[in-house]
Amino acid sequence: MIMTLIYRGIVLFVLALVIRCIFKEKDLWKQVTAALVVIPLILRVLMIK
Amino acid sequence: MKTRFKGTRLTALLLLGLSCIVCYFAAQSFMSMWEPEKIYPLDDFREAKLSDYFDGIEGTPADQPVFIQEGVEEGGTALLLCGTHPNEPASNLTGVLFLENASVERGRLIVVPTANIMGFTHNGAQEGHPQGYTLETSEGNQRFFRYGNRLSNPIYQWPNPDIYIHPTSGQNLSGKEKSNLNRCYPGRPDGSLTEQMAYAIVELIRKEKVDLAFDLHEASPEYPVVNAIVAHEKSMELAAMVTMEIEFAGIPIRLEPSPKNLHGLSHREWGDYTDTMPILMETGNPSQGRLRGRTNEDLVITGEDKCYSKAFELGKLYIPYDGDQPISLRVARHTEAISLFLENLEFIDDSKGVTVSGIPGFEDILEKGVGYFLAEPN
Repeated sequence: MIMTLIYRGIVLFVLALVIRCIFKEKDLWKQVTAALVVIPLILRVLMIK
Repeated sequence: MKTRFKGTRLTALLLLGLSCIVCYFAAQSFMSMWEPEKIYPLDDFREAKLSDYFDGIEGTPADQPVFIQEGVEEGGTALLLCGTHPNEPASNLTGVLFLENASVERGRLIVVPTANIMGFTHNGAQEGHPQGYTLETSEGNQRFFRYGNRLSNPIYQWPNPDIYIHPTSGQNLSGKEKSNLNRCYPGRPDGSLTEQMAYAIVELIRKEKVDLAFDLHEASPEYPVVNAIVAHEKSMELAAMVTMEIEFAGIPIRLEPSPKNLHGLSHREWGDYTDTMPILMETGNPSQGRLRGRTNEDLVITGEDKCYSKAFELGKLYIPYDGDQPISLRVARHTEAISLFLENLEFIDDSKGVTVSGIPGFEDILEKGVGYFLAEPN
């Protein structure tokens, strides 16, 4: 249980970094790539997949 | 000339919004597998819970229904454990067929239709498997069944180690096997959720004094242990009798002894840790094989695959493959073998006979299809 909470915390942290990247990135295609990366991270934070 | 589009805060917001929309629809799809399909056991079956046998799993995703039917006449007890690997659909479907048709006249029949219930809630990444398949009943209604994963869902049990050391034997296995119910027997009351579930099943066998226990499976057509019965030393005499009868009926099947040094599997540990006679059975399922081509619901139901036809021509398969391997055939094989085991059980011990009627025969299932014998949805 504690392991899972730590794991979700790590995923949330990575998710926050990727979202920060999207806003800082000046290249649209790199923004698109980051937006794709966000999808599995959101699903994992919510423990859906 | 390469065109470079500029990213702005507005495009970032739009793309994040798009990601959220994709997440919403993906989540709806994934979460649809959390809902168990409806089954309609006959009224003669009493519903219990697996946690009745080990309360450590009460309220966890490992808890699940156990159905018990007692005959008028005293006799032995048989267990059908179905759905150990939810990507082997003939196993679960055989359990449902028994629940919706079986009438026990002598002894007791216990059916667990979704043994690894935590594997039914997801399917394998990068396997391209459908989330389920639909069968038509005799009145033309549709019955949906989930096609799950061999392993417990990681949202319930995480992480798996690099190497799984089987607790009671010390045997080293691939790390993912910690989530494989059929590598976790005899289980541990304080282990992972899958190990606890295995422990609960072993407790069920002990407390219900199960005489004959089946673990139903399917295997890839290119895997040597397919169309096979695997028997522990305790069950070998009975299994040999049944194998001969099945062969006499024109159904090819092989009998394999349970290896003594291969631990964690039902056919070994149930026999070593309980008084039951364990039997594991395998049929050939192209939809889980590595040689398969297009993977969809049709493949699950019909087993038709050009790649497997080619592999058969090249002599690479361990089953007779005539262009298909329908789920009705696979369920009929399991059903026929179980019926013969139950018929022959009293020849091993006269007081332990189990008589079950109402189960369709091999030819009936082949001719009418397994859906014909399922209950109408209500």
